[in-house]
Amino acid sequence: MAKFMVVGERIHCISPVIREAFEKRDPEPILKRAKEQIEAGATYIDLNIGPAENDGEDLMKWGVKLIQENFDNIPLALDTANKAAIEAGISVYNRDKGKPIINSADAGDRLSYIDLAAHNDAIVFALCSAGAVPADADERMVFCQQMLEHGLTLGMEAEDLWFDPLFLVAKGMQEQAQHIMNATRMMNEMGLITTGGLSNISNGMPKQIRPIVDSFMLAMCMANGLSSIIANPCDQKLMETVKTCDMLLNNTMYADSYLDL
Amino acid sequence: MPFNQKPEKFAAKINTVTIGNGDKAIALGGESVLPFYAFDGPIDNAPKVGVEVTDLGVDESVPGVKAYYEGCSSVAEMAKKASEMEGADFVVLSLKGGDPNGEDKPTEDLVAIVKEVVEALGDYPLVVEGSGNVEKDSELLTKVSEACQGKNALIMSAKEENYKTVGASAGLAYGLNVGAESAVDINLAKQLNVITTQLGVNAEKIVMNIGNAAVGYGYEYVVSTMDRIRNAALSQDDATLQMPIITPVSIDAWSVKESMASEEDMPEWGPAEERGIGMEIMGAAADLVSGSHAVILKHPQSVATISKMIKELV
Repeated sequence: MAKFMVVGERIHCISPVIREAFEKRDPEPILKRAKEQIEAGATYIDLNIGPAENDGEDLMKWGVKLIQENFDNIPLALDTANKAAIEAGISVYNRDKGKPIINSADAGDRLSYIDLAAHNDAIVFALCSAGAVPADADERMVFCQQMLEHGLTLGMEAEDLWFDPLFLVAKGMQEQAQHIMNATRMMNEMGLITTGGLSNISNGMPKQIRPIVDSFMLAMCMANGLSSIIANPCDQKLMETVKTCDMLLNNTMYADSYLDL
Repeated sequence: MPFNQKPEKFAAKINTVTIGNGDKAIALGGESVLPFYAFDGPIDNAPKVGVEVTDLGVDESVPGVKAYYEGCSSVAEMAKKASEMEGADFVVLSLKGGDPNGEDKPTEDLVAIVKEVVEALGDYPLVVEGSGNVEKDSELLTKVSEACQGKNALIMSAKEENYKTVGASAGLAYGLNVGAESAVDINLAKQLNVITTQLGVNAEKIVMNIGNAAVGYGYEYVVSTMDRIRNAALSQDDATLQMPIITPVSIDAWSVKESMASEEDMPEWGPAEERGIGMEIMGAAADLVSGSHAVILKHPQSVATISKMIKELV
């Protein structure tokens, strides 16, 4: 199996520092967070500009160029509900190191983001949900099939649809963790690429517990064949988990210094 | 149904390491394919054959080797002669006489020999092997590196126990190529590359010696180790295993009973020299198809045969 991929989630408009940097077009905070995440082992960087209804196109272009030009064209996930902003970002995107990712489509109102990916030769994150919380793994698979067929009909390759089994908060919906793992395994058995927003699982838990729950959830999902995760690569426990699971799954060769690599 | 060739494409490639200077310089590695899979993609640098001479002078035990160096009065003359051998790409000077458990020659004497050999060979590619004793080699290979400065030689070997001194002198102080030696242990092979590069040695100046065995003496572990290294380097794009591999064959091939037992003792085995050549050729051929980029041999007939094999295949 291929080495696990981490999509770094720390450039997110929900952070006051980032939001201010976006407003003022101040490169420093953005570059700092991109650098930290890349050094920690991020394969992709997520660029979340929020709804960005006013100047989304200009902002996304600015962000894409800023990060790619400073970090050897690292591939990016373009994260916004503003479709025009995504297309604007892709128009200036450099594909040397990989296709852009559109974050994200679902099987409901956001199905057309798959069309957006198809028209722009991009990868798309496909959330296995149509708005409401899916009851179990089987319901997730129904959404997965719908989106897969939709993408294939539009001429996409299956490998450009990365399915997200929809990570949900364990505190309150504990039974969902198993459904997420089961759905991941079923998708993996179909040869599909999978991803997910990991930190949802530990939402609302005390700060010191979150990295533990995140790491164990990730390890259990990787054992079920998860291909990638949207997470904070600066979380040391998390990256230790990724590297150790990759080693135990024989995706990387062991050496005593494997955690340093 | 027509044959539809599907080349196995890898995005990764083996590092290219150059030994020697000018026209005579050789390059190891650089390919993105499995060994000899020239039908999948280009192999710009064919595997290379090195000829071993030692500070102990002519090996009198093997008639063909003794005859080849007939008339040589110094190690430097032998090295020059070795460089002219049919099929030779580089010369390997082994300083095994420095081993404290053997002749225990002083470092100064060995360095003097190295200097003469360097002088005799000029830009011709040179590989220097230490005494094999980790403590002696820490000192010896530091001085040897100084003597080889500017020659772009390969210094063998940095082991787990002395990579800091050998890597710092050969790789950092004198800008030479560093051999990283492990003993048929893939995880240690990787670890040595990691810590040697963490020391500051340029990854593109490292050549791995992952160890060897004579055919029939646990050789299958050598094959599986080389296989897994090449696979990790290419299919997993593991940058810490993308160094080319050099394999000393002669030492193991000529030190097992199949090549040492006399014809008097083992009449049914036939002439000893032929058996030794056979062991050397079989070992080298198997190493090359398993992933070695260079083999180190001793007998002129082995060198000519393996060189011809490479030319026919690449």
